Amino acid sequence: MTLMTNPVYKREIRVSSRSFRLALVLLIFNGILALVALLNMYSMLTQVRVTAEIQYSSFLDLYLFVAVLEFVMLVFIMPAITAGSISGERERQTLDLMLSTKMTPMQIVMGKLMASMSTMALLIVSSFPILALVFVYGGVTIKDMGMLLLCYGAAALFAGSIGVCCSALFRRSTLSTVVAYAVLGGIVIGTYAVNQLALFFSRMPGGAYLVSAGMGTGEGSSGGFLYLLLLNPTATFVMTMLRLSGREAAEGRVTQWFGTHGESFLSRNWVSSSVVIQIIMAAALVWVAVRAIRPGKRFHK
Amino acid sequence: MLKIRNLRKLYGNYHALDGLDMEIEEGALYGFVGPNGAGKTTTIKIISGLLMPDAGDVEIDGIDALAQPYRLKEKIGYVPDYFGVYDNLKVSEYMEFFASCYGMEGLTARKRSQTLLEQVGLGDKLDFYVDGLSRGMKQRLSLARALLHEPVLLVMDEPAAGLDPRTRLEFRETVRELNQQGMTILLSSHLLTDLTELCTDVGIIDGGRMLLTGSVEEIIEKIHTSKPIVITVCDNIQTALSLLKEHPLVRSISVKEQEILVQFSGSGRQESQLLTELVQSGVHVRGFMREPGSLEAVFMQLTRREEERVVLSYDADDESGL
Repeated sequence: MTLMTNPVYKREIRVSSRSFRLALVLLIFNGILALVALLNMYSMLTQVRVTAEIQYSSFLDLYLFVAVLEFVMLVFIMPAITAGSISGERERQTLDLMLSTKMTPMQIVMGKLMASMSTMALLIVSSFPILALVFVYGGVTIKDMGMLLLCYGAAALFAGSIGVCCSALFRRSTLSTVVAYAVLGGIVIGTYAVNQLALFFSRMPGGAYLVSAGMGTGEGSSGGFLYLLLLNPTATFVMTMLRLSGREAAEGRVTQWFGTHGESFLSRNWVSSSVVIQIIMAAALVWVAVRAIRPGKRFHK
Repeated sequence: MLKIRNLRKLYGNYHALDGLDMEIEEGALYGFVGPNGAGKTTTIKIISGLLMPDAGDVEIDGIDALAQPYRLKEKIGYVPDYFGVYDNLKVSEYMEFFASCYGMEGLTARKRSQTLLEQVGLGDKLDFYVDGLSRGMKQRLSLARALLHEPVLLVMDEPAAGLDPRTRLEFRETVRELNQQGMTILLSSHLLTDLTELCTDVGIIDGGRMLLTGSVEEIIEKIHTSKPIVITVCDNIQTALSLLKEHPLVRSISVKEQEILVQFSGSGRQESQLLTELVQSGVHVRGFMREPGSLEAVFMQLTRREEERVVLSYDADDESGL
């Protein structure tokens, strides 16, 4: 069964495409982006009028600003869309009806996840004209845009699969949504906090002990905890943006984050490694969701 | 059609099913009866492939249902005790969605849906939103959905609970028609009154075990012969008593004024012979009848639970069950 013949996917797309909610989300999402972009442009033009000087780097900042805002919104919207997907079916008492048909739990979970990804893709595509404002002045290539899209896609898939997994594990959509945001927050803020804490401890007077325990490099760093950031979509996005803005050499070297670290394969290929790891994590979460709704093996809170 | 052997299911320490055996013949309309918590829904969920048992065998139409759950789903039509509707789908879309869940697409799905909707009396409701349908209509829609893939066994879990008397009767007729068309149906309920009229076979379950099973006639016959014959005589009561004492099929006799209560283990023909013998011996018999027995009485006897008695009598008065 392909995605286009997946009944759950087709039904979700049909229902969402005629709902007022999707139109409203599109309006608000693009409205905020457009407002921010236009305000940014207005501020730059005002600056030109005052100083008679055109700062072309400001136009790149416009792109970065819009891209960051879009990323934040995507990461926050995705769990909201997916966290009620399976628990909602359970609340409507339609999950058992679907499971009593020839649909497999995998088809149900994938149908739900892909429908959410499609909604997300619609949001991203609809925002292209705003992101493309930067092409008027140049400075961003199609390859850069492709990298950004890849980063968005991986983050949306990861956040979405966290939502779907929580939705399959918890009976109530409210609880599922709260847990999904908590898990995502734990990954985004938690991995950063762990690194910050490890760096702090490694720079304490007793840091020598930590160094001997393999936590630091002697100059003070978060050690192996750095690689926890591979799970963090925000770290991937920041890295992509730093490369894009040409500041990679100064700030974008992963080995310089949270102290000085040694070079490794992962640090040299940070973005692609983190995207692969996040996709693997998403696949694992989908597997958990499938196990959770499989007849006879259910686990609900 | 359906064979269940030694089915067991534990929820923590609670034995929902404790060695259940059950058999349904092809073409039967099987009434699955038991009080709340007896294990009916658990059994139905296992039959429908929605739950795995801890032990036991389930065979449906020659298929090992536990080993081949996806082949099983082609054979089973499941009508739960709830509706399970999408409020933002129209009736036709709802049916086509479930048709696609069974691999039917396009015109095939549309035609099959329309045929079934007409069969259950919803042919004119294609463009109605499912959420706007009445309770009875939703139940008929649920039945049509379960028939989409032409199952060989239709499993219904308390389908008429909460329906008004007219809708309940209409629903019962639809079920009867389906059975007359050759479909094997398993119908669960905790109410017996109407099941005795509708079903060909009945199984009484309690505590996760089958207490009594057989055709409705067999069970009624068993109940019938367990009830005493009340003989009312005008005179010659001593002659009557001496004749009854000598009779080999009479197991016990009690007398209350002119009434004699006789535990008689014979058939209907033997009952009439007993009456003839009484009359020929000069006893003037004014009344001769078995005390009426009912499936409810047996059910109550088998499933002695005070709380259920209240529920049963309430529902029987309310006519809300099937």
